[in-house]
Amino acid sequence: MIFKPSEMTFSDKKVRMLIAGYPGIGKTTLALSAPKPLYIDVDLSAERIERSVLDMAVGVTQPKDYKELKADLGMGMAGNAAENAKRELADVETIVIDTGGKLLTIMGQYGLTLDPKYGQRDGSLSLKGYGWLGKEFQRFLDHIIYTLDKHVVIVFHTVEEKDGDETHLRIKAEGSTKNNVWEVMDLGGFMEMRGKDRVIGFSNCERYFAKGTKSVHGVYTIPELKPGDKNDFLTKLFAEYNAGSAAEAAQAAQERKAYDKAMAIGATILDGVQDAESANSAMADFKAITHALTSQKELGAAWNARIKELSLVYDKAAKQYVTAATKEEEGAE
Amino acid sequence: MDRYLITHSLLYSWKRAISPNPYESMDSVDPMEDMLTVLRREPTEVTQAMQNGIDFEDLVTDIVMGRADPDHKWFLAAANVASRVKGGALQCKAAKEIEVDGVPLLLYGRLDCLKAGEIIDIKFSGVYERGKYFYFTQHPVYMELIPEAKQFTYVVSNGANVWTETYRRDETRSVYPLIRDFLNWLVAMGLTDLYMANWGSRK
Repeated sequence: MIFKPSEMTFSDKKVRMLIAGYPGIGKTTLALSAPKPLYIDVDLSAERIERSVLDMAVGVTQPKDYKELKADLGMGMAGNAAENAKRELADVETIVIDTGGKLLTIMGQYGLTLDPKYGQRDGSLSLKGYGWLGKEFQRFLDHIIYTLDKHVVIVFHTVEEKDGDETHLRIKAEGSTKNNVWEVMDLGGFMEMRGKDRVIGFSNCERYFAKGTKSVHGVYTIPELKPGDKNDFLTKLFAEYNAGSAAEAAQAAQERKAYDKAMAIGATILDGVQDAESANSAMADFKAITHALTSQKELGAAWNARIKELSLVYDKAAKQYVTAATKEEEGAE
Repeated sequence: MDRYLITHSLLYSWKRAISPNPYESMDSVDPMEDMLTVLRREPTEVTQAMQNGIDFEDLVTDIVMGRADPDHKWFLAAANVASRVKGGALQCKAAKEIEVDGVPLLLYGRLDCLKAGEIIDIKFSGVYERGKYFYFTQHPVYMELIPEAKQFTYVVSNGANVWTETYRRDETRSVYPLIRDFLNWLVAMGLTDLYMANWGSRK
């Protein structure tokens, strides 16, 4: 189905979110506050979660390996099998993976069974293996987002890294995958304790490098759950994210339209600049362009490049372009 | 000669010189000696890391221009970067007259790419950790140079992978306190005359 750009609202976009934090800080409880979660307990730690919180999950699965996880999510299946998997997940709105580090480990173990070149003698992944792992992680998320049409929340433990006197928090994952996972996320927050409050930060700071948007940024306090309270922090946050995305998209579309128009007009004028005379006559129209975003700077650079290409120089006294040769002749006189 | 040039490279060399751990992930050059070389505007030796960066950027440009060798070992990663910068203004110069504590300055930069409200800088780095550019002076300088830009993105590659690190305007620190600290440091170190003698600008 093809939409007009103006019809795209982004108000029901499926969110890809990463939650990072120290063990025991409440990452899983927070992850399960997403809309109708399926809890994929790769870490096999469901018994540590409070029963009332775990009960909020639409379903729980504890895959023993990546092959089983793929089967649970109907990944790589076709025809009836794929349809059955989708039907089984019909009530689920969010896939929660706990933890991402463990997911990458079982994914890597699976990769080793596919191609000996993905491994090294000591059983760890080779450079080629890490390349495959990055791509497989992307395929896994694409399946959840595009095929299953679900939100995805991935929980990571954090590790501390010292840099001089400063301590930085990083997600716990092997090799370059700890950078790759961020590339595909819409939101990424670090959980910490601030006094007695549990908080999650989405803005970059000295302690960590998170991922927020214009509408979801800064530090949010996570409310303490009392008996009877609804665990819906992420459900509300996703709604806020989508409302913000819709507003940002609408504004961006407007600016982009004005930018494209300015760039198109500028390109047409520049096409007509072939010599000093056409450059001089084009100047007024070029200056009259209504600009948006960085079109003025970009077109200015394109104009200068065109002038240089034609070996023209600006005669400040005459306030017009002349050929470099003419300018030299005048100088000689 | 009425203004003094301030560039990201100058501020970067200074930040290195005052870093508590200046040798970390750097070459063997003494950062203070490097700073003095920069202040004297003497040519600096091109290291292998710098050459890799130049070669990678050239490859990206060649791909944009449709003249690259598809068998190049970095081709796929460079093609990914090229797809982001294609259609933008490449190697775009920008300058802005500013004043800090009464000192007239000319902030100057050369942008790898300016495209539809985004400044893109291409980095080639063998070692990359997300957040690497948080303290970098480049995005504060360039965002000041291009006030219409909404965001600054470092597109980082090691020749195989490509990562992005984006800073929106609202999360970019002002360059002014940084420049103020730099000017104060010059005074404290007795290097103001050296700076003014070599970094004057005729605009």
